[in-house]
Amino acid sequence: MRFTGIVLLVWMSIFQARQGVFVCKNAHINIFSSTPIEDIDANSIKAVSVYNANTGDLEFSLPVRSLHFQKSLMEEHFNENYIESDKFPKATFKGKIQSPPDVSKDGTYPVIVTGDFQIHGITRARTISGTISVVNGIVTLNSEFTVKCADHNIDIPQIVFHNIAESIRVRVSGTYAPFKN
Amino acid sequence: MKKIFTLFVLLVAGMSVLAQQNNKTPSADSMLNLLSSADAQHEQILPAFNATRLIFSPTTETVKKNNLNFLIIHRFGDMGTAIGGFRSFFGLDAVNDVYLGIEYGFTDNFQVSVGRNSIGQMGETQFKWALIHQSTDDHTPLNLTLLAGEGIRPYGSFASFGDRLSYIGELIISRKFSRTFSFELSPVYVWDNQPLPYVPGNPPGFFALSTAFRWKVTKRMSLIADYEHPFSSFRNNSGNFEDPIGFGAEFETGGHVFTLNVTNARAISQINSLSNSTSSYGRGQFRLGFTISRMFDFNKKKTSNNY
Repeated sequence: MRFTGIVLLVWMSIFQARQGVFVCKNAHINIFSSTPIEDIDANSIKAVSVYNANTGDLEFSLPVRSLHFQKSLMEEHFNENYIESDKFPKATFKGKIQSPPDVSKDGTYPVIVTGDFQIHGITRARTISGTISVVNGIVTLNSEFTVKCADHNIDIPQIVFHNIAESIRVRVSGTYAPFKN
Repeated sequence: MKKIFTLFVLLVAGMSVLAQQNNKTPSADSMLNLLSSADAQHEQILPAFNATRLIFSPTTETVKKNNLNFLIIHRFGDMGTAIGGFRSFFGLDAVNDVYLGIEYGFTDNFQVSVGRNSIGQMGETQFKWALIHQSTDDHTPLNLTLLAGEGIRPYGSFASFGDRLSYIGELIISRKFSRTFSFELSPVYVWDNQPLPYVPGNPPGFFALSTAFRWKVTKRMSLIADYEHPFSSFRNNSGNFEDPIGFGAEFETGGHVFTLNVTNARAISQINSLSNSTSSYGRGQFRLGFTISRMFDFNKKKTSNNY
């Protein structure tokens, strides 16, 4: 029976190792542009994310149309003129967390993720820092980074040049649940 | 032997679970697709038109909730007749019609507009209700908007108060065929208690059809054209009446939409232009016009903190 016990333990551990996939279906994305003339602020809670705690693979996908602005005209212009969301409906990130933390233990872990960030059809390699916190086994990810409009061919015409910042601050936060089939 | 058998069974069971896991745990990529595929169903297209009006016709668009659209519309004098030419700078010294108005969105799909036309000093109230929106997956292939309006001429001599009133009803149907091309077709019914022009044989009510398109040339500039035809035997037979045709360019400058156009019709209100357009391109009776539309947003500021 001792052998059975060992095998059971090994089997359980293998089984456990396969379990480290976490998903989030309602990650909050906030984008913020600030100029002396006006602040522009939009939010979405429809980003989806998959995190593999074993490999550190992290992915995000945001339907751009789900970003809602304070002013409806801003939202229309954002979709139609800047992001062209009928052509490029999604903003995505695919990357890998360097030395992924052990999410089975509670704590707050600063992480660095490297990967490809895509919006407006233009992909850029980025290194972004963030934190993973585990509270009572619940995994939460937070990050803040900036996106330069020019890096993604997002033209800001002269006439609104003073209203829209050249760099947009992006805040991401997501609470994950273990992936279940 | 029993031990080994148990061990074997456990191993097999473990392997099969692993195999299943491998099959059932898709790659992160397809998992993302799996997670996000549900949200994009029947999504509304981006607006087919930039503004709530083209040249004569209203578009299927309405002013969004808590937004106020301020409109200034002008039609100048004839460019090609004796009153036109260089002396009046192609009609700019004469003003044929001016419309001042506001449009307010009570919901994202329902707006009320109030305005005043110079022609007939007619005050107008209109209700516009966007019923159906075209979806990206063509689940609904068209935009459908209903418009009901009323005009009142407070000045001039009329037999009764009722005679000062006129009505318009319109079913606006549009389709955005591509990112750059939108087309609309609207059956219209006009009823004027004292028909315009007030001559014998002119019935108070008639049907009309208005059609228009927008072709987006650049991100901020579109070419538009607008044509209206009243189905009225009185107008067809008299020989004086002309179908209003307008051509224009629409410039969108974040907050403003500015339209520069050339039309034969002098009137801005459809009640007037459909009832009584007699000016013809052939006789030089065409004019410059413009529309300035300025949107004000009264939505309360939402910050990410209280989101």
